[in-house]
Amino acid sequence: MVFINEKMNKESRLKATINQRLTELGERERLKELLRAKLTECGWKDQMKAHCKEVIREKGLEHVTVEDLVVEITPKGRALVPDSVKKELLQRIRAFLAQHAA
Amino acid sequence: MKMEDMPLSGPDNTKLEALVNDIYSELVEDACLGLCFEVHRAVKQGYFFLDETDQESMKEFEIVDQPGVDIFGQVYNQWKNKECECPNCKRLIAASRFAPHLEKCLGMGRNSSRIANRRLASNNNTSKSESDQEDNDDLNDNDWSYGAEKRAKKRKSDKSQNSPRRSKTLKHKNGELGSSMSADPYKYNYNAGINYEMLGPDEVRSFLTTQCGVISEHTKKMCTRSQRCPQHTDEQRMAVRVFLLGPSAPVLPEADSVAGPESFDIPDGQALMSRLQWEDSPEISPSDSASSKASTNHSDSRRPKKKKRPPLGLNSGGGIGSLSGGGGSGGSQTNISLSTKKKKPKLTAPSISSIYDDLN
Repeated sequence: MVFINEKMNKESRLKATINQRLTELGERERLKELLRAKLTECGWKDQMKAHCKEVIREKGLEHVTVEDLVVEITPKGRALVPDSVKKELLQRIRAFLAQHAA
Repeated sequence: MKMEDMPLSGPDNTKLEALVNDIYSELVEDACLGLCFEVHRAVKQGYFFLDETDQESMKEFEIVDQPGVDIFGQVYNQWKNKECECPNCKRLIAASRFAPHLEKCLGMGRNSSRIANRRLASNNNTSKSESDQEDNDDLNDNDWSYGAEKRAKKRKSDKSQNSPRRSKTLKHKNGELGSSMSADPYKYNYNAGINYEMLGPDEVRSFLTTQCGVISEHTKKMCTRSQRCPQHTDEQRMAVRVFLLGPSAPVLPEADSVAGPESFDIPDGQALMSRLQWEDSPEISPSDSASSKASTNHSDSRRPKKKKRPPLGLNSGGGIGSLSGGGGSGGSQTNISLSTKKKKPKLTAPSISSIYDDLN
């Protein structure tokens, strides 16, 4: 048990550290911007907006809430990210880790 | 901070990958959330559906996605294969070639006039040089061959600088020959000049009252620039008028006195020659003149290396200057001041009249 906890602690510590690193060095912001730009470029954003319109028409313009949108949009959004964008991002993250974690 | 507790070994690799994926998911979720907030705000502020208010214009400007057509529905190079009938020559011309064809066909536009002038010039030159060769055979003894020079010059002028399609290397060549400014106006004159033999006496007279008229030795063309053209001196202009209209003809408008032959002495030929050396005075070349072939300093900008001393200087430039000085009136004095300002040497009484007497 202690092992698992320790392991988990280690992992979570590791994760925390890395996250901290990402933010400190500004890499997180850069990655965010990169992802947004790529998604807009490839038309993901327009696709999602169209989906939003449907949801809104469904729920009614006046009564739609943030939660409604989040619940409807996020799973679809995750699925619709193109493979190329996903691969590129993963690569950058790996590179960052390799540089700053090893 | 060191990460010694995280070696990159086998089982940890998956953990690392999991970590990477976690980070990735976080980023994607962040993007989605951002979008949701944006949309929600737009909805609540009322501008979300703003681009969909007008259904008609939406249909009108819908993106077109057909082959052979751009997204506006326009066809690329639609007019490329069309042919137009020229109103002048009634031929069918390709659309993209129509405008240049019209320019030449109607004889308007910059290029067509240049080409026509050039053709005219080359025609004149070819016919001229052929006829002159025999006449001036025995007068050409010591000098370079008139025809050869004509040919050389014709070659140069054939590679015309007028049309914009000519090769760019021509520009360098022009520059080498001296200031381009002096070269180009000269060339322009060369092509657009008038041959005095083509004009009747009245035309010559009227021409000479308004224009410089100095005859270029090489081309036998009269300078079409104004009376004040910087390439020629007043003496030259005077000489041309004397030559073309007779010694008693009225000459330059600003000269009060007519340059009469009787007012001159005839100094030694050699002295005359040495005095009549101008840097850049073009020669007068009557077709039957003995010394016309001799002259050389024709426009230094065009042929600097051919600068020779004329044996019998028909450089009447200096002569005319003193000529009008001999005539002695206020008007001619201005001529002198004009000419001396431009040219350096001063001449004593020349013998232009004597030269012309010889010819006559």
